[in-house]
Amino acid sequence: MSGHDSKYFSTTKKGEIPELKEELNSQYKDKRKDAVKKVIAAMTVGKDVSSLFTDVVNCMQTENLELKKLVYLYLINYAKSQPDLAILAVNTFVKDSQDPNPLIRALAVRTMGCIRVDKITEYLCDPLQRCLKDDDPYVRKTAAICVAKLYDINAELVEDRGFLEALRDLISDNNPMVVANAVAALAEIQENSSRPIFEITSHTLSKLLTALNECTEWGQVFILDALSKYKAADAREAENIVERVTPRLQHANCAVVLSAVKMILQQMELISSTDVVRNLCKKMAPPLVTLLSAEPEIQYVALRNINLIVQKRPTILAHEIKVFFCKYNDPIYVKMEKLEIMIKLASDRNIDQVLLEFKEYATEVDVDFVRKAVRAIGRCAIKLERAAERCISVLLELIKIKVNYVVQEAIIVIKDIFRRYPNTYESIIATLCESLDTLDEPEAKASMIWIIGEYAERIDNADELLESFLESFPEEPAQVQLQLLTATVKLFLKKPTEGPQQMIQVVLNNATVETDNPDLRDRAYIYWRLLSTDPEAAKDVVLAEKPVISDDSNQLDASLLDELLGNIATLSSVYHKPPEAFVTRVKTAQRTEEEDYVDGSESGYSESPAHALDSSASPPVAASSARQPAAAAPAPAAPAPVPDLLDLGLDNSNSAIVSVDEPGPASGPPLPVLLPAATGQGLQISAQLVRRDGQIFYSMLFENNTQIPLDGFMIQFNKNTFGLAAGGPLQLPQLLPGTSASTLLPMVLFQNVLPGAPSSLLQVAVKNNQQPVWYFNDRFSLPVFFTEDGRMERGTFLETWKSLPDSNEVSRDFPAIVMNSIESTLDRLAASNMFFIAKRKHANQDVLYLSAKIPRGIPFLIEITAAIGIPGLKCAIKTPSPEIAPLFFEGIESLLNS
Amino acid sequence: MGIVFTRLFSSLFGNKEARILVLGLDNAGKTTILYRLQMGEVVSTIPTIGFNVETVQYKNIKFQVWDLGGQTSIRPYWRCYFPNTQAIIYVVDSSDTDRLVVAKEEFHAILEEDELKGAVVLIFANKQDLPGALDDAAVTEALELHKIKNRQWAIFKTSAIKGEGLFEGLDWLSNTLKSGGG
Repeated sequence: MSGHDSKYFSTTKKGEIPELKEELNSQYKDKRKDAVKKVIAAMTVGKDVSSLFTDVVNCMQTENLELKKLVYLYLINYAKSQPDLAILAVNTFVKDSQDPNPLIRALAVRTMGCIRVDKITEYLCDPLQRCLKDDDPYVRKTAAICVAKLYDINAELVEDRGFLEALRDLISDNNPMVVANAVAALAEIQENSSRPIFEITSHTLSKLLTALNECTEWGQVFILDALSKYKAADAREAENIVERVTPRLQHANCAVVLSAVKMILQQMELISSTDVVRNLCKKMAPPLVTLLSAEPEIQYVALRNINLIVQKRPTILAHEIKVFFCKYNDPIYVKMEKLEIMIKLASDRNIDQVLLEFKEYATEVDVDFVRKAVRAIGRCAIKLERAAERCISVLLELIKIKVNYVVQEAIIVIKDIFRRYPNTYESIIATLCESLDTLDEPEAKASMIWIIGEYAERIDNADELLESFLESFPEEPAQVQLQLLTATVKLFLKKPTEGPQQMIQVVLNNATVETDNPDLRDRAYIYWRLLSTDPEAAKDVVLAEKPVISDDSNQLDASLLDELLGNIATLSSVYHKPPEAFVTRVKTAQRTEEEDYVDGSESGYSESPAHALDSSASPPVAASSARQPAAAAPAPAAPAPVPDLLDLGLDNSNSAIVSVDEPGPASGPPLPVLLPAATGQGLQISAQLVRRDGQIFYSMLFENNTQIPLDGFMIQFNKNTFGLAAGGPLQLPQLLPGTSASTLLPMVLFQNVLPGAPSSLLQVAVKNNQQPVWYFNDRFSLPVFFTEDGRMERGTFLETWKSLPDSNEVSRDFPAIVMNSIESTLDRLAASNMFFIAKRKHANQDVLYLSAKIPRGIPFLIEITAAIGIPGLKCAIKTPSPEIAPLFFEGIESLLNS
Repeated sequence: MGIVFTRLFSSLFGNKEARILVLGLDNAGKTTILYRLQMGEVVSTIPTIGFNVETVQYKNIKFQVWDLGGQTSIRPYWRCYFPNTQAIIYVVDSSDTDRLVVAKEEFHAILEEDELKGAVVLIFANKQDLPGALDDAAVTEALELHKIKNRQWAIFKTSAIKGEGLFEGLDWLSNTLKSGGG
């Protein structure tokens, strides 16, 4: 490139940032102010102007409040991206916090709280301390909030510097706004801390009550929320507090109203005088009703809160049900909530009115709303016994309209009504049956089938009706299948004639052989067995009297309700969920414990039992409780996968019911006989642990040499070193005399770990319906446990070898073993997941290095030394768990010997 | 080119704000000097984390004086203030003999800066009121001021507390800047 081309590289255009930079450094104040405005404008539209940080900060020391505010705005935005340079602003903050103008002092302290940069937090403490004691209330109230912000950044600092005490002092401030903000700050800090920080005493109580009447509406909300957490000493105090607060119910701000309601509800718990309570309830009704004339969004929030309130104190709004009647132009979410509250408020006194409303809703156009209205009628029927008949007649009227989804919904609720009032309204079954063909929803179908089964003796053509459903049995959803199964059994028990008998066989066959659904299959098996052993007992079970139901849908658990009532006027009371369910707090104590605990249980079974006990002693956590029995040997056994319905006497967790289907495949060399026929009264059992596709199975062969068929086989394993246990039921068909069956039983690990020295002993118990329990011993071979991922890189191998102390090395000589070829030996070892890494020659001997891994990631580094064709082989291993070495040598000996 | 014109223009009419940096180690007395110059009184100060900027009017010249924090953590950011600086006031705690070496190193590092090539340098051997304070000759020696080349400089004995020597220094500064030394 020739010399004069260089001009293309020097441009006269500077670009926006350098121009701004120049203007910011201008000697003229107006130009600087304009420049800062330009910077802020660029910032708000998303341009990155963080590179101008020092230039903007240099404009910070100014008399001009407007410019100062702009620079502060810039700082809040970019301090995080320039944490090092943010320190340049500190001195200005310190100066501004001493400015004669209280607005500037407050502005400085507020901005400081918004700058979340660790490096400068410490410098902000002195100004903050000053501002907390400022003469001007505006500064003090701003500083109070700043403490809460600082607590979020550095809680320790706040506590060390005594800011919490300063905040508590502010509660006694003579300015109500300062009190309100101090309360807000303390309440927020309390929520993030597990220690008691903010507790209202009788002294602060009076301060708060005084401030309540004078501060702004949002200040009132803070104070009311704090007061609702106060536990009054006795009923009199509670009454006094409530009396001071009731004027807040008339406030125009709905947040104030709801907070006041919350506070009054909390204190009412303590008030015993029924007169006072009745009076309070009367006072709370009008403000709650008023909330419903606000915008739909506020109505929704109010309704969600009212839903909780009426669950606790139905009397408050007992006479106000009319305000919850849906208007045609209510949004659907408001309508749905109103319906819910109408159901809750429905009583014998107002049910006629309510039913008229519901009936009208049931003819509207919105399908979801219509369904809910129909369901509401049913729920009222269940709730109000004396109104049940009227409800039913309304439902029947609705069914006559023949609108498909109305009919289906009605049938679903009528089923519940039948359950609630047995033998009362069966006269309407005939009407229901007319709509049989129109049912296409699973729940409606299931309900109708339930009704037919339940009242089979009163429906002349019950068998025909059911039969019409049976044709499509395989295609039906599980819900319908289950009902069909039960209904058919009921029909058969009630009318044990030929027709139902055929039906039941079809159903049982369908439900056992042709389905993949374990629920259905298990239920079918239980019925089958019940019917085949003792039909009378089956009657007692299947046709037993049912407990009376009540309407508990959408009813909250009492403790949850109380918690939610304590959170009225928050998101929690709108979600109907406790705050923990959707907000993550910084309180970390519990979580770290949980993590430690999980680590503890994963770090391997070689750990000392003491540690395992420690970890199991920590509160069980749902997510990891499944692992608990694995880590802690003495911990209770895992819950039984299948309940021991047939009471076979094996009361341990691993008992399993034998199914009659799917005999497991078995292959390979003959299995060792563990229970000879002579010992087992003719039953011979051979078994061995095998590994297939990364999973351990117990391959078993059962031979029946007795004169009787054997069935109902169950198996159980005693505690053992690796906690081996059955991973499912033993799948074995009935064994006829002279036949045999084999099966592969999937095994799981670390279920019932036997502490102490490792042993290869595996004690097994097998039971069937005809014989006593048989016990026999098996020995497992360690290579069965070697996992497929045991291959190690050379480097890792060397590193691991070096990192393990020599005390972890164990070796043994096998004088009788002959290695005939390296290849065949390696192949054999590889088949057992022992992976070849390297070999070397040492004199006339070959040295092989291999790696293997057992579950929980415990590696074995193996060194085999032998001379080809000459008896004598030395095996040395290094592993973090040398106590397992004897098992390893047992295993490798049998592997290389065979 | 524009800047040169402005400078000429303003120095003729004498209403230009001269940009001056007050630098020096922490606890040298920079902030006290600044406010002594600006308000004529001694204010109580705390370590400056960041900067102070004040306008000081002296003999028809407006000085825009930037007092930068002297703590180790802040010294790296001095350079953000170097552009367009006409003069540096380097303040030395004459009684803190232990740290004169550090003061010297920082000082010479500043002189190396390209952006400060044209700046005149005024050194205040401060804290003369304290016993054991070195005099200007000794400070000159310690800071190796004789090594300064191609730059106008002066050293004054000062005591910010008593207000001695500061305005003499400022006199020198205004004369030097007026005569086009900046």
